[in-house]
Amino acid sequence: MSEQSKDLSDPNFAAEAPNSEVHSSPGVPEGVPPSATLAEPQSPPLGPTAAPQAAPPPQAPNDEGDPKALQQAAEEGRAHQAPSAAQPGPAPPAPAQLVQKAHELMWYVLVKDQKKMIIWFPDMVKDVIGSYKKWCRSILRRTSLILARVFGLHLRLTSLHTMEFALVKALEPEELDRVALSNRMPMTGLLLMILSLIYVKGRGARESAVWNVLRILGLRPWKKHSTFGDVRKLITEEFVQMNYLKYQRVPYVEPPEYEFFWGSRASREITKMQIMEFLARVFKKDPQAWPSRYREALEEARALREANPTAHYPRSSVSED
Amino acid sequence: MQGSTRRMSVMTDVHRRFLQLLMTHGVLEEWDVKRLQRHCYKVHDRNATVDKLEDFINNINSVLESLYIEIKRGVTEDDGRPIYALVNLATTSISKMATDFAENELDLFRKALELIIDSETGFGSSTNILNLVDQLKGKKMRKKEAEQVLQKFVQNKWLIEKEGEFTLHGRAILEMEQYIRETYPDAVKICNICHSLLIQGQSCETCGIRMHLPCVAKYFQSNAEPRCPHCNDYWPHEIPKVFDPEKERESGVSKSNKKSLRSRQH
Repeated sequence: MSEQSKDLSDPNFAAEAPNSEVHSSPGVPEGVPPSATLAEPQSPPLGPTAAPQAAPPPQAPNDEGDPKALQQAAEEGRAHQAPSAAQPGPAPPAPAQLVQKAHELMWYVLVKDQKKMIIWFPDMVKDVIGSYKKWCRSILRRTSLILARVFGLHLRLTSLHTMEFALVKALEPEELDRVALSNRMPMTGLLLMILSLIYVKGRGARESAVWNVLRILGLRPWKKHSTFGDVRKLITEEFVQMNYLKYQRVPYVEPPEYEFFWGSRASREITKMQIMEFLARVFKKDPQAWPSRYREALEEARALREANPTAHYPRSSVSED
Repeated sequence: MQGSTRRMSVMTDVHRRFLQLLMTHGVLEEWDVKRLQRHCYKVHDRNATVDKLEDFINNINSVLESLYIEIKRGVTEDDGRPIYALVNLATTSISKMATDFAENELDLFRKALELIIDSETGFGSSTNILNLVDQLKGKKMRKKEAEQVLQKFVQNKWLIEKEGEFTLHGRAILEMEQYIRETYPDAVKICNICHSLLIQGQSCETCGIRMHLPCVAKYFQSNAEPRCPHCNDYWPHEIPKVFDPEKERESGVSKSNKKSLRSRQH
């Protein structure tokens, strides 16, 4: 998505007038299960959503994929699977077979993440682990280890309730900036535009407001775009499916209207400072043209720094075994 | 972890970030890969000298070996651009696509693949592919739907479309070469020069050997009288130019606008 060089003096993005209903967090964190914090001791919840439910993590910080949490997940998963798990187990498979399963699972998770699909534990069992369900725990643990050491990625249980995993990059999200602003990932630019609008408004953005902004970029709900295709489907379905946006009916309004909020994944992966920098680039203004938002972004950045005084992915190039 | 302990010493955050980003993008051209590599160094190890790309990738591949994955380098068949992708060597089926597509969609791809491999030109026509819609496994698919699925394949860089005909994207060849050679050993065509899988290329009219266009370009470079390497007969086709990344950037031609010629030279 190319940046507009003309001055986009869209009232939606206007450098702020005093706004009495400042929302402190983009997107309503609708009961993020406290168990989400089980899986991430001290690690950046890249948004304030974890704040209300933050319980001190019950285990020591472990940057190698939290095998305990995954074990719990595995056990939960097994409990939800076929109840006949109690039969006398078959002979344990050769270690080489477990290793191979771990490699298959690693690839499976990487591809799912590449396609921005949900990594769902029951799918992992059905598609990859199969008859090795009983050794799921050790397979998962090995896979997490490999992902951490080779790719610098953490396989995190993001929701025990829905048994969803996510691959969290243990690296600063700065590349999102570069990538978003190049032509390589137009989707990200479009997404950032909408997220920025929501953030600046401080509350949900009505669909009509979103289209006002997209209209400036030449995007219309009824027109197919050469890069984005069906834009309306993209933002109301695909981005929502990927948890980057929430698309909800505005209550008590007739005829029905809808509004957008930040999705849980956006809150995790994108910082407020990134949004400010994006706005600054696109509108050729200083980020401080949105003073209260900028302050929020600064505070979030400080909170993140305080929560993560040291990097928690392997930095050394020395052999780790 | 077993076996690869001494190799682990090579993995630094530079390599990890590189792997992550390569995986995110799926397939990248060499110019982008070099830029990516420089970016990773800039982020994690500003003062280090940037390794030569080949060595850099070989280092990473030595670690990936025990995981049965590899950063593979290939060359696009139509204009010889080098491309890179992270591929799974342990694949015995079209497993990378399997997470993305339904059973009938995967079968549509298989049918298209077979048509492409069996064809003389390396292209399967849209009509012929769509006529096979009734034979697909899984849920029944209508032709209209199949057209959209084919477009999905193009968007995901598994197929390329030119004038209503489909051939394999460079990425598909990189990822699936092994699978294709094992599954269709009789129908598969091989390049006489590089001995890799050949989908599009030129062939000798006398003895029938085939060569990729970029292989032709390199083999006959500055040769006034090109002759078949096998039967020595005069080579009757137009010799394409060798891909030059420097010229490409200077002329400022953006990749998305460039329409490379499809050469029907069989």
